[in-house]
Amino acid sequence: MTVDISVLIGGEAGQGIQTVGLLMARTCHMAGLYVMAINDFESRIRGGHSFIQLRISDRPVHGPARKLHMMAALDERTYGLHQPELTEGGLALIPKDHADTMAQHHRCKMVDFEGLAKKAGSSILANTVAAGTCLALLGAPFDLFENVLKLTFNQVEEKRLAQNVQAAQYGYTAAEDETFKWSWHWAMTSPKGRLVDGAQAVAFGALAGDCRFSAFYPMSPATGIIQRLVDMAQTVPLVIEQAEDEIAAVNMVIGAAFAGVRAMTATSGGGFSLMTEGLGLAAITETPIVIVNSQRPGPATGLPTRTAQADLQFVIHASQDEFPRFVFAPGTPFEAFSVTARAFELSERFQVPAIILMDQYLNDSLFVAEESFEAPETVAPYTADDDLEDPAGYRRYALTDSGISPRALPCKGPALVKACSDEHDEEGHITEDADIRDVMVTKRFAKVAAMRKEIRPPEVIHAGSDILLICWGSMRGAMVEAVNQLRVDDINCGGVHVVDMWPFPDAALSEILEKVTQFFVVEQNQSAQLGQLIRQQTGCQYTDAVLKYNGRPMSAGEIIDAIKTKLR
Amino acid sequence: MVSTNDYHSDYPNHWCPGCGNFGILDAMKSALAGLDLPPEKILIVSGIGQAAKTPHFLQCNCFHSLHGRALPIATGAKIANHHMTVLVSTGDGDCYGEGGNHFMQAIRRNIDVTVLAHNNGVYGLTKGQASPTSMEGMKTKMQPGGVIAGAFNPLAVALSLSAGFVARGFSGEGDQLSDLIQAGIRHRGFALIDILQPCVSFNRVNTHKWYKDRVAPIEKSHDETDLITALRLALGTDDRIPTGIFHRRESPSYTDRIDKLNDKPLTDHRYRPELLKALLTDGYP
Repeated sequence: MTVDISVLIGGEAGQGIQTVGLLMARTCHMAGLYVMAINDFESRIRGGHSFIQLRISDRPVHGPARKLHMMAALDERTYGLHQPELTEGGLALIPKDHADTMAQHHRCKMVDFEGLAKKAGSSILANTVAAGTCLALLGAPFDLFENVLKLTFNQVEEKRLAQNVQAAQYGYTAAEDETFKWSWHWAMTSPKGRLVDGAQAVAFGALAGDCRFSAFYPMSPATGIIQRLVDMAQTVPLVIEQAEDEIAAVNMVIGAAFAGVRAMTATSGGGFSLMTEGLGLAAITETPIVIVNSQRPGPATGLPTRTAQADLQFVIHASQDEFPRFVFAPGTPFEAFSVTARAFELSERFQVPAIILMDQYLNDSLFVAEESFEAPETVAPYTADDDLEDPAGYRRYALTDSGISPRALPCKGPALVKACSDEHDEEGHITEDADIRDVMVTKRFAKVAAMRKEIRPPEVIHAGSDILLICWGSMRGAMVEAVNQLRVDDINCGGVHVVDMWPFPDAALSEILEKVTQFFVVEQNQSAQLGQLIRQQTGCQYTDAVLKYNGRPMSAGEIIDAIKTKLR
Repeated sequence: MVSTNDYHSDYPNHWCPGCGNFGILDAMKSALAGLDLPPEKILIVSGIGQAAKTPHFLQCNCFHSLHGRALPIATGAKIANHHMTVLVSTGDGDCYGEGGNHFMQAIRRNIDVTVLAHNNGVYGLTKGQASPTSMEGMKTKMQPGGVIAGAFNPLAVALSLSAGFVARGFSGEGDQLSDLIQAGIRHRGFALIDILQPCVSFNRVNTHKWYKDRVAPIEKSHDETDLITALRLALGTDDRIPTGIFHRRESPSYTDRIDKLNDKPLTDHRYRPELLKALLTDGYP
């Protein structure tokens, strides 16, 4: 039997929608199922509308579903907004008060979430009641859910746990006279991998990259990354400081990196805009830093809590003038983990800034990751203070064939280290000399040849197909699912996913694209930024683009429909 | 023993003849030698401006950074390795204008750095525009009708934020300035030394003589532990410009208050994968 069920729970901000999503995801995960949970919320503390969409399956799932099988509406608005998404025969659980609007292509069941919650101790427990009813209808054993509640609340307080268990029981009881046509037998196998969101994966990667310092200014959706780091920082030599603004944050990171520790900051596009000045400083002073840009729609404030992939061209070109940099765009939590650790290593080795493009969808959604997250056994020191033959003659920007100068640290030995944001000579002194300027630009760009060798080629699925769908970053899950479904529908297509974005994998992509008749880029921006980049770097013109930029993640279904239309 | 010669640099200096910066540079060398601090033990972070070029003119580790950003850079560097002696060489535009918010927040953090703010009341590097500390009414090519905004009072601002060490020096009083710099470096926590200096090229109002006629050491009876008295002195009541230590009171610095740094600097930890194993295998988010 194949399970692939989507459940939406929605209500107002402040009703614990994210918590209930986490509880249900944990329950599914503990039963050995695959699950993902997508958070959708507004930029507000109370009121409004927020929801979480769970996709539960006995096979790996990596992207959002378009249709819902079940909905639990904690308020009337949720039902009104999402009722069109219910599939034929779907089930809506709606609060008792609003029994009037009965659309007939799906079933409605009234559940007095709030009344039952009050009976269990507090109206705030309505989310747990809803989770109970949903899980009961899906067929989940009650003791499984009870265990998850214990795991979640046992560190908080006994009373809260007891109330939640009571609320869950009321939720289960409310489901007794109802059936759900897609319910299945929960076989209870051992959990698959780990449940993780992108934010936590980046934080894990930072630890595995030996990050010692982080400065940040709160900005959705990047704040979660730093929160995860703070949560884990207690036992490791890692200091985290909330800066007065993003400008200070990136400069603190540069100062710490200059002094000799690996350092990073995380922000979204608006904060990254403020950091571009510092990005250039890191570049000309050849100070290794890692910046995570968790994208959201812009420009300016845009849609603070929503998702986008519209900063690719921006971060590749950000700052005045030009210089080498790494840009990565992970597509899964495991890639977010491994790419972050790699970014620290490569940034330090090449003494260049590294940028990681996340987005709200990857950042805030829960996924099952089956890969193991392992810290490397050693982290290579690239600083050179101990092996200097002539510390007195040390020159921070000494010319080398590789463009990489031995990097001594300030106050760590007799070598004096002079870093300078003006164009400088080998010693780090200001220069106006035209020849030295030429030499220094050439020196910095000399690193690119070796940087290119570190760039991993794009992932290709179903190589040798006539048609390719090409995406980057968090579009991976939906793209892979779309490709597999299109193949079932007799369309001979494959997929390409780019993670290592810059230096651009020109040669690898050219080779892939030469063999296909058509290729389509799939992106969450308006102008097909990857498509433009491919054309610029390889001369290959994409056939067409599947684009979405309303701030909501693209599903496989949307990609399939768009591709079929374009191929017609 | 470290001598001022140990700080000698051959890098050619292009400050204008008669610039107040020369007096400040000499006072820095004599202060550092006086503290027996060798060049390899100090880090000077600077922003942009004529003052920010200072670290090129003496032997030291330096990070010559961006306009206004010296303090965040210095903060990050100090957190990474709090065993370094960190000085910030900055100017009135750099520290109080472009970097104004960083200035306030660095004071709040009480990060242990010594700020030498070369304050000449005008922008020198960009050739003569008003600075945050230009006197109201001062005419420049850019402000031909005179500066409209009131002058920024760095000492009063620092004191209002309870900065632990607040002093004013004058580039023309080298011995006093050297003593102030030594006291500032010895102070554990944020130290501000606002250093008045003439700009011989662009400030026709606050000349060397103008300062000479007004500066006067703070009276010996001044209680430097009393914040309110210091604030009153900083706000000024007459034409005299008091110089010396306005306020000094130590409290734990930013890095003192981070338990993790008690043992050793962040730079001195070796990578320990075993610490990460438990974190990376931890169950639920």
